[in-house]
Amino acid sequence: MPRGSEALRRSGRFLRLGALLAGIAVALSFPSFVPSPYELTVGIAILNYAVLSTSWNFVGGFTGYISLGHGAFAGLGAYGTGLLVTKAELPSFAALFAAAALVAVLAVPVGYAALRVRGASFVIVSIALVLILLLVFQSWASFTGGSRGLVVPRPFPGMLRAEHHEVFYFLFLALLAVALLAWWIIDRSRFGMGLKAIREDEDKAQSLGTPTYTYKLVVFVVSATFTALAGGLYGLWFGDLDPVFQFSILSGSYMVLMALLGGVRHLYGPLLGAVIVGYGLEYSKVEYGDTPLHLVFAGLLLGVVVMFMPDGVIPAVTGLVARVFRTGETSIREVTAAELRAEREADAPDTPSERRTDDQPDGKREVRQ
Amino acid sequence: MSAEESQEGLATVGLTKAFGGVTALDAATVSFQHGKVNALIGPNGSGKTTFFNCVTGMIRPDSGRATYRGRDITGKPPHRIARAGIGRSFQLCRVFPRMTVLDNLLVGARPGNLAAQLAGARKREEVERARGWLTRMGIEHLENAEARNLSWGQQKLLELAGVLMSDPDLILLDEPAGGVNPALIDRICDLVRELNAEGRTFLIVEHNMDMVMSLSDHVVVFDRGRPIAEGPPSVIQSDERVLGAYLGV
Repeated sequence: MPRGSEALRRSGRFLRLGALLAGIAVALSFPSFVPSPYELTVGIAILNYAVLSTSWNFVGGFTGYISLGHGAFAGLGAYGTGLLVTKAELPSFAALFAAAALVAVLAVPVGYAALRVRGASFVIVSIALVLILLLVFQSWASFTGGSRGLVVPRPFPGMLRAEHHEVFYFLFLALLAVALLAWWIIDRSRFGMGLKAIREDEDKAQSLGTPTYTYKLVVFVVSATFTALAGGLYGLWFGDLDPVFQFSILSGSYMVLMALLGGVRHLYGPLLGAVIVGYGLEYSKVEYGDTPLHLVFAGLLLGVVVMFMPDGVIPAVTGLVARVFRTGETSIREVTAAELRAEREADAPDTPSERRTDDQPDGKREVRQ
Repeated sequence: MSAEESQEGLATVGLTKAFGGVTALDAATVSFQHGKVNALIGPNGSGKTTFFNCVTGMIRPDSGRATYRGRDITGKPPHRIARAGIGRSFQLCRVFPRMTVLDNLLVGARPGNLAAQLAGARKREEVERARGWLTRMGIEHLENAEARNLSWGQQKLLELAGVLMSDPDLILLDEPAGGVNPALIDRICDLVRELNAEGRTFLIVEHNMDMVMSLSDHVVVFDRGRPIAEGPPSVIQSDERVLGAYLGV
């Protein structure tokens, strides 16, 4: 490993730690400097999106399986929590965790069936899941409230509205932190290495001894559980559930858009995407009211991402930075045998080794075969 | 284990696989010698790759049995077969393109218990083992490069290093010389001889006859989904059925 890149890596680590601390400070102090509770609700909505897209990224980012149906798990988490509070009269947060546990159990057979197919087929299966649940929750009105919706009692009855928002802001922030931590742990683990190998070449990964099917199923359940927690928390915060919004392909699509926009291979990719898209959605809802213009905005953004930043904002920006400083990535250039011989002769007196890498003056590394 | 048992390597009985109306493997009964370099040759479409895919679990045979060292491996999932000690390379080499060279190897590291699964992937001893294989392939200087940026030949070596990382006793190579320059073919041949001397068995599918004849101890010839001849290279070269299958005479 060249010495220059070691120093760069160390300074990069400091930079990242600084950015992380700054981010935490901004997130923690946000409620205390917003001008009105409305801005706080925008913050909560964005945090909700961030948890959802980070949860989605457990499957999408690691394994490369694109699920458009993750809205189903959020909806189940929300309805599960609401129904456990209203019908089983569980305390609000006990209901939230019980609902998430139920979704985790349900995700096993769903994943068992859905993960048998790859690529476009998996996308279709995931969409089918949302549509089936939409029909169930709309039609089974005696239990779910049907199209009239379900009112979820507030967990803190006496609390003022502003205070209520503030509590939920921090609850969502805590959930986001846990989801990010879990993603980070998996990212650096052997399990995560296997998952990423699945994304790259599933058959190859399996031929090297990775139990691909088990790996996919486990991470699918983890993803569904976090999604359900986000959905349930949303239900407790918002207090009113409508099947059309809970079981909509749109909510799953937003998760995909946000994760893709930020960068699915990066811990903070979905979070960054959620901030951009979430803010954009809230802004266009305020500016253009009930027109579907926010959908146009989301569609255009998806087009831009796919065309110009297929790996997302984070790789695009880091790539740009690396190009400016010309030190980041290893560049490989093959040299002809004649060039190699000439260079070797020139180097011969003091460097007997045949293969070696040089730190070139321009900072690029050259590699010989 | 007796001496006879240890001679028993990969073997199949009546292995059959049809794709639609095409019978790719037609009741193939064949066995390969443990501890040797075996070659599997035959014209295009004679069922060599299907045979590979059946014995490594990538596809399930319609009927018949495959055993390795006396253990039934028919229809077992690929990761089980890999853990039983059979490693393979793919026709047209396959690596994990957007992972670094080092990570490509770490995918094949030894499995652990649940705690080991969640522990860091870059465990020191596994990294050292990976570096050892990279050095042996002569691509250790590329360990931080993304695999997709390697040349074709380097990717071939990387794939072989990745297979070796999972520590197989039997290594199946599907056209190791395909698209590779002559100098690298020599290098791959040397590696196969060295690794064989260290106790690893090889089964190689290859169209490069010079390589097959110089490298292998035992050659099996496939035609239309079944073996038509087998024996040492010297015998195979003069076998009329083999010439007929290849040249259509």
